Amino acid sequence: MSLTLFLQQLINGVSLGSLYALIAIGYTMVYGILRLINFAHGDLLMVTAYAAMYGVLLFSLPWFVSFPLAVIATGAIGILLDRAAYKPLRQAPRISLLISAIGASFLMENLALVLVGGVPKPFPRPDFFGFVIKAGDLHIMVLTIYSPIITLLLVLGLLYIVFKTRAGMAMRAASRDFEATRLMGINLDRIIALTFLLGSSLAAASGIMWAMKYPQINPFMGVIPGLKAFIAAVIGGIGNIVGAVLGGFLLGLCEILIVALLPSLAEYRDAFAFLLLIGVLLFRPTGIMGEPVIQ
Amino acid sequence: MSSFFQMRHVTREFGGLKAVSDFSITLERGELTGLIGPNGAGKTTVFNMITGILRPTAGDITWNGENITRLPSHLITARGIARTFQNIKLFADMKVLENVMVSCHYSMDSSFLAAMLGLPKHGREEKRIRKHSLKYLEEAGLAPLASEKAQNLPYGLQRKLEIARALATQPGMLLLDEPAAGMNPMEKMELAAFIRRIREKSGITIFLIEHDMKFVMNICERIKVINYGQSIAEGTPDEIRSDPEVISAYLGGPSHAQG
Amino acid sequence: MSEKLKFRLNVVSLVFLFGVLFLFSRYGSGYQVRILNNIAIFITMAVSYNLINGVCGLLHLGPNGFIAIGAYTSALLSMTPAEKQINFILEPVIWPINVIQVPFVVSLIAAGVVAASFAFLISFPVLRVRGDYLAIVTLGFGEVVRVLCNAGQSVTNGPLGLKGLYPHTNLWWSWGVAALAVVVIQRLINSNYGLAMKAIREDETAAKAMGVDPFRCLMLAFLVSAFFSGIAGGLLAHLITTISPGLFTFFLTFNLLIMIVVGCLGSTTGAIIGAVLFAWGGEALRIVEQPMEIGPFTIPGIPGMRMVIFSLILMLVILFVRKGIMGRSELSWNSVESMLAGWKRTQKPP
Repeated sequence: MSLTLFLQQLINGVSLGSLYALIAIGYTMVYGILRLINFAHGDLLMVTAYAAMYGVLLFSLPWFVSFPLAVIATGAIGILLDRAAYKPLRQAPRISLLISAIGASFLMENLALVLVGGVPKPFPRPDFFGFVIKAGDLHIMVLTIYSPIITLLLVLGLLYIVFKTRAGMAMRAASRDFEATRLMGINLDRIIALTFLLGSSLAAASGIMWAMKYPQINPFMGVIPGLKAFIAAVIGGIGNIVGAVLGGFLLGLCEILIVALLPSLAEYRDAFAFLLLIGVLLFRPTGIMGEPVIQ
Repeated sequence: MSSFFQMRHVTREFGGLKAVSDFSITLERGELTGLIGPNGAGKTTVFNMITGILRPTAGDITWNGENITRLPSHLITARGIARTFQNIKLFADMKVLENVMVSCHYSMDSSFLAAMLGLPKHGREEKRIRKHSLKYLEEAGLAPLASEKAQNLPYGLQRKLEIARALATQPGMLLLDEPAAGMNPMEKMELAAFIRRIREKSGITIFLIEHDMKFVMNICERIKVINYGQSIAEGTPDEIRSDPEVISAYLGGPSHAQG
Repeated sequence: MSEKLKFRLNVVSLVFLFGVLFLFSRYGSGYQVRILNNIAIFITMAVSYNLINGVCGLLHLGPNGFIAIGAYTSALLSMTPAEKQINFILEPVIWPINVIQVPFVVSLIAAGVVAASFAFLISFPVLRVRGDYLAIVTLGFGEVVRVLCNAGQSVTNGPLGLKGLYPHTNLWWSWGVAALAVVVIQRLINSNYGLAMKAIREDETAAKAMGVDPFRCLMLAFLVSAFFSGIAGGLLAHLITTISPGLFTFFLTFNLLIMIVVGCLGSTTGAIIGAVLFAWGGEALRIVEQPMEIGPFTIPGIPGMRMVIFSLILMLVILFVRKGIMGRSELSWNSVESMLAGWKRTQKPP
């Protein structure tokens, strides 16, 4: 394989990885505090994509207004999701929470199916992002370059919030010891809402970029990326934000490079992520950033 | 000649912290020994290492001539060491009798196929397990409550059920982790009598952790004292009572006085 | 209640059940027979699924994988070589599948055995973890199976699937298997093995301390569950006569979850009730997808509304009626007896 092709795929891998990373952060943050796998998290991608699309097509908003609005709206929906489906089950056994999450995910998907129909709709990608730069044999879409940059900026912003603000400190405390944090007089409900807001907004940002990357949106578009992002979070060490980012990039790179190096395995692309997961769980269950398991 | 039960230079580290260091003890058949020490001294960690919940970072544990240091919990129980827990860990949603019947599982002869097909051999074994378990409940005075859910029992009886459940595994050695915690003096007396009765009847070795000094001094023949993960004294109750190291560990001693 | 009386009551109920089935098979409409077949297959699936999720307390999200394995195994073995040639148009199917053909019952047993073998293989990674990790790994297994079925052109015929299967499944097969599954699995749950599984669910550390080997116990449950799920898959394949990978997605797992959560988590009776309600409700709810006439108004049908309602029901049950309809209790002759006794007492004058 030529160097150009390799470089091309490397850039593609990093770009895809950045999208996974943003989604993975949401999973890892919620798991860190609530010990819950938010199955409905991936579907937020879909919600943002449709919101952004209708903002442009129905309300004729320019994309730089519609897109951020969609992100904010999705952040709010994330908080709503917690209030409706998870908060009543704070004291319930974990299996109930997981089932509620799965139910919420299916509800969102099928509600969307009913409301907007199952036919994939084209997403209004702004020309700026869709422009393809040609450098010799390399063909790179502007979006592909912007994705990792936007991701990095958002992640830095998040890390600032988590490590340099009081709210962030409360979040970190809550993920260490839920009960003790409550006893310290911290309003856990607000902290949890903030966690969902941040995680969902990041996933929403990823959703917009995803919709621009694959501009055919449908109600079930968030399922596979969501699952893969969760795997990325586990690989990186669930509960650890930096781990989620690393896991996301790693998964994106592996996915693209493996298909590039072994084109005959292209159909198994989705299964690969799960096989990687099983491998990680077998040999290093706490992930890249987690502590090695003592026993 | 190999001793019945032996721990040699057992150490357990967590990160850089030594929860237990260089702990050694030898128990002979039928002894009733106590393990005491201030809170956080490492007593439950010792029990967890014996029963396979934690693995020692160094040292070894031998039982009946066999090195059991690296064995998983269920195999250690099959070898004859049973335990109760500091925080009651009953099978809450299951009936009292069922809690005890679980202890007979590892020694079952008939296979799961026999169970599914309803073979008579299996039915006979189930009957035997039921009778056997009921016997242990009777000895603990819990027989009338056999069909109650374990979580509905009052606290004192839950503790007794834990002991009955452990005894049903037919152990050679029983580890009791704070069996008298939360009991009133009357219940403690009953418990002490119960423990003595067990030992008389079956001659099993008993190793127990307790905070109640009176209880320990009353019932144990030998006592081992541990502080900050290290063994600081060992001997008869009288010897321990007057040991200056023990006194200073519990009370702070003149060299650690406030002020 | 004496064992003899229980035995007699069981025999009577079975005779009654088969009497009803006979009537339907003779006089029932095709639609009714299809629903009854569906109910029986769902019962088998739900009861085996409940063994893992309810009794052992593990959140297993991959039953669709075992059902798929069973369906394909049974289909590939029961089809004639000629039928296989017709189906495999893109790539010929590999040897020995292209020449083998066995009677239906053999293909069903093979379906169960192959599914159980896969369960054996994946127990090693799956049972190393618990809780959420186990959920994700089993989910992954189900997905991997689906992807493999899609990609394995020369074995499963890929996305085209297998068509024209002979409709072997009738009321006797489906209900016979369901009855067998219920009896066998319930016996296992009532035995000491069942106690060991429940103990692991309640407190695994304590169970280990009482001598229970969690890996061995859970793997056994896994094998039994996969075995019956595989057979149910075979029955399903020969009922709807067409299978494709798209049939065995996470959606199927979700449906099973609804069945056992609404019925209860932990009770076989609940699983049965859940399966019946689901099959019935599924049919009944089809009406929301058709135009309805209420008085002078016509409400247009909304396709997809059925799933929305199902999702809502699942969430409402899990949020408000945590333990489902049956809770953890079972319906048995003993419980019927005590219910009757209780009712009689309320009828006596004070």
